[in-house]
Amino acid sequence: MPAVTFGWLVSQSRAVLDGDTPTVDIDWVPQIALSISLRLDGFGLLMGLLVSGIGVLVLLYSAAYFGRRDDLGRLAGLLVGFAGAMLGIVWADGLLTLFVFWELTSVTSYLLIGFDDTNPTARAAATRAFLVTGAGGLAMLGGFIILTIVGDATTISELVADPPTGTLTDVALVLVLLGAFTKSAQFPFHFWLPGAMAAATPVSAYLHSATMVKAGLVVVARFAPAFAAHGPWRELVVAAGLTSLMVGGVRAMRQQDAKLALAHGTVSQLGFLMVLLGLGTPAATYAGVAMLLAHALFKASLFLSVGVVDHEAGTRDMRRLRGLLRALPWVAASLIVAAASMAAIPPMFGFVAKEKAIDGLLDTDVGAIGTVALVGIVLGSVLTVAYTIRITVGLLGNDAPGVARLPDTDDPATVAHQAPVDPAAVHRPSFGLLAAPALLALLSLVFGLGAGLVGDWLAEAATSLDPGTASKHLVLWPGINEALVISTGIVAAGVALWWFTRAATRTIDAFGSYATTVYDRIYDGLLEGARRTTVATQSGSLPLYLAIVLMTVAASMFAALLTGAADSISNPRFSNSPVEFVTVVVTGLLAVAVVFARTRFAAAVLLGGSGYALAIVYLIQGGPDLAITQFLVETLTIVVFLLVLARLPAEFSPAPAWAPKLVRIAIATAVGVTVAIFALSASESRTRPSVGEDYVALSEPEAGGRNVVNVILVDFRGFDTLGEITVLAVAGAGVVNLVRAARRQQRRKHIEDGTSAADVPDTDSGRQVGVWR
Amino acid sequence: MSGPPPPRRSVVLSETVNGITPVLLLFSIFLTLRGHNAPGGGFAGGLVMGSAVILRYLASGPKGVRSLRIDPIALIGAGLALALTVGLTSLAVDGSFLESAIWKFDVPVVGTLKIVSSSLFDIGVHILVVGVVMSVIVAFAEADDEMGGRR
Repeated sequence: MPAVTFGWLVSQSRAVLDGDTPTVDIDWVPQIALSISLRLDGFGLLMGLLVSGIGVLVLLYSAAYFGRRDDLGRLAGLLVGFAGAMLGIVWADGLLTLFVFWELTSVTSYLLIGFDDTNPTARAAATRAFLVTGAGGLAMLGGFIILTIVGDATTISELVADPPTGTLTDVALVLVLLGAFTKSAQFPFHFWLPGAMAAATPVSAYLHSATMVKAGLVVVARFAPAFAAHGPWRELVVAAGLTSLMVGGVRAMRQQDAKLALAHGTVSQLGFLMVLLGLGTPAATYAGVAMLLAHALFKASLFLSVGVVDHEAGTRDMRRLRGLLRALPWVAASLIVAAASMAAIPPMFGFVAKEKAIDGLLDTDVGAIGTVALVGIVLGSVLTVAYTIRITVGLLGNDAPGVARLPDTDDPATVAHQAPVDPAAVHRPSFGLLAAPALLALLSLVFGLGAGLVGDWLAEAATSLDPGTASKHLVLWPGINEALVISTGIVAAGVALWWFTRAATRTIDAFGSYATTVYDRIYDGLLEGARRTTVATQSGSLPLYLAIVLMTVAASMFAALLTGAADSISNPRFSNSPVEFVTVVVTGLLAVAVVFARTRFAAAVLLGGSGYALAIVYLIQGGPDLAITQFLVETLTIVVFLLVLARLPAEFSPAPAWAPKLVRIAIATAVGVTVAIFALSASESRTRPSVGEDYVALSEPEAGGRNVVNVILVDFRGFDTLGEITVLAVAGAGVVNLVRAARRQQRRKHIEDGTSAADVPDTDSGRQVGVWR
Repeated sequence: MSGPPPPRRSVVLSETVNGITPVLLLFSIFLTLRGHNAPGGGFAGGLVMGSAVILRYLASGPKGVRSLRIDPIALIGAGLALALTVGLTSLAVDGSFLESAIWKFDVPVVGTLKIVSSSLFDIGVHILVVGVVMSVIVAFAEADDEMGGRR
């Protein structure tokens, strides 16, 4: 599937590069102007190629990585599902469309991080990632809704073409940024990303380095050119981006697990990208797009290489690995190439992109904040160079491992676990494992060498974000200029930083994340709060629930009547026909009789009689469909009622102490009278012509049915029906599962009590029970 | 009807149920299919078919329902899936959720046969409703098993 997408994108690329923008608009729920609108512009094309291209490689890699596993199909399904959602994000033009796909990536990411569902760490990490990105997504939805109202536009292209201003817009933008920051793991929401490394390597490589974490950047990139100058946008983006850049970089220096180090490095790099794409000037945007491509290539390659190391050597702990340069030459080669791109060493594409970034920032005139961004990025890049060398040397180098400094332990298992890996015992990886990281690393090199050509493509892609980028281009060797001097300085400082810290970082233990602790506190607090609320509100008394529900209904209707509808009741018709009159009276009498019934059985039968009489009223009023349904529902209800009653005492249980007879009568009367008055006034206060006539007129020609009621249900208002039957389905499934859960509990109790197997209900009924299991 | 299904079953009841079940099943399908042009529809049809299941339970107890070998959850899922598929298909084809497609065939002898895609939707509703009714009956049947394993 991703391969087909990739092919299709390549075929479309010619048209898109010529400035064409294919769009698709599908009305989804036109009533609330909800439609799926997608568009394929230059930037979308670039991101689409990345998502589908890396997707193909990751899927191939996964097949080799996992070998034969029963749940490989589930993994592949989730990955493809994720790829689809991600494509939705990069192509979405409608704000709500974007939001829907955004949440879909959160859901698939949750399932992928927690894929190993027997591992509590993975489950906790999955929940954390989901809650953080989900909360951000909700904030973003709020922002989108405000923007839709303020800007009177439902698509990004309309918004950007005619950006609204004002305080409300600022609030909306902050909300949108919150969403983007959570998704792209920006400080202070960065902590979920290292946790997400609990996922298998192909998943981390795909979701948590190359694609999903780019979703926030995509949104920022699409909004920045129009909104960067507004309100707090630029300040927020630069602050969050630079903080993430530094925090991620420092943390990457402290990790011993190569994958975690890369994850923190990703946080850092995403901060870098956030600054570039968020500044909103043509030069920065162009550099950001180039850097985005470079990052996707080298980071995915690095993750996949670390995955190979993990797969073949059995660990990712850099303290235990050595001699891999010889043992895994191909992995080492692609690792070094990709790392060189990350550290911005010429002639890699990472170098070209970073050169452009520094150049772009020097070129950008946005006042002091531009200078702050530049200084921050230079410092961050020094860290980047340092941790890149550290990871590469840590994985491949031969220097003495830091095992001796590990916490002392007598447990032989732990000691064995911490022993250095013997290079001779390392397996040789298969071609399937090597191909993907090698290809991506190769691209990092080729794109660097062909910088001029790639730069022109990227200019096309960036134009769709900001027309000002059209004249930009990339060069491999710009000659000696300011940017080159700075880059050289960065590399030199980075190497020096690594050299002087290398002994210390060899043995250091990673410290826990403070942000994670804060998150855990909030999470626990929420659960505790929910528990207390439940205890306080859910007394378990059915009469109380019923009273609350009924009184709420009555009160809301009463309020509506007070606000002016009541005076519109004008000489209601008393009765249409004698038959109707008699039936209504019978209905009423039966209902009254229910109250006086002494046994539950009598009450149930009387209630059913009242329901049947009501069905006759419907029939007289000309609603055969309603009558049939009422009749059937009434029948089934009585039967079920009686089946339940058979298991209950015959007499009513005494009324609860809080509701003496008078209170109960008062509640019943209040509800009855309010509903009656409301119904009367509602039928009189029609202000628009009935939609009924339209439906009747359209029924046969449009939907080919002569039964209007049914046509409304299955066609005109089919969406409502679908919602209703979904509720029904959930209820039905709920009933079955409640019964099963109760049963399991019972069985467990039997087992705990040591009751003999014969007493356990379903063992003696044999395989037939299995049908419901 | 006033008590739990008694341990000794009424022969009259079970014979009547055996006789009436096919009629009920046919009638329920009839109700669903005619729904588009005359009173009826998937919901009503599903309820009728569900009442056939209830009758079976009343006549022969939990065993009677269990011997059907149908998982109510599977029915519910199938019904929902069918309805959703119809909806999404018309979304893909016509660009609007649940826009009816109409096919007309001339069948010799019978006359013109008109098939509307939304009938399929109704059939989905029908299956789902049967599943929900069955899930309630299953709850009772399981409870019977708990209470002394009557069957």
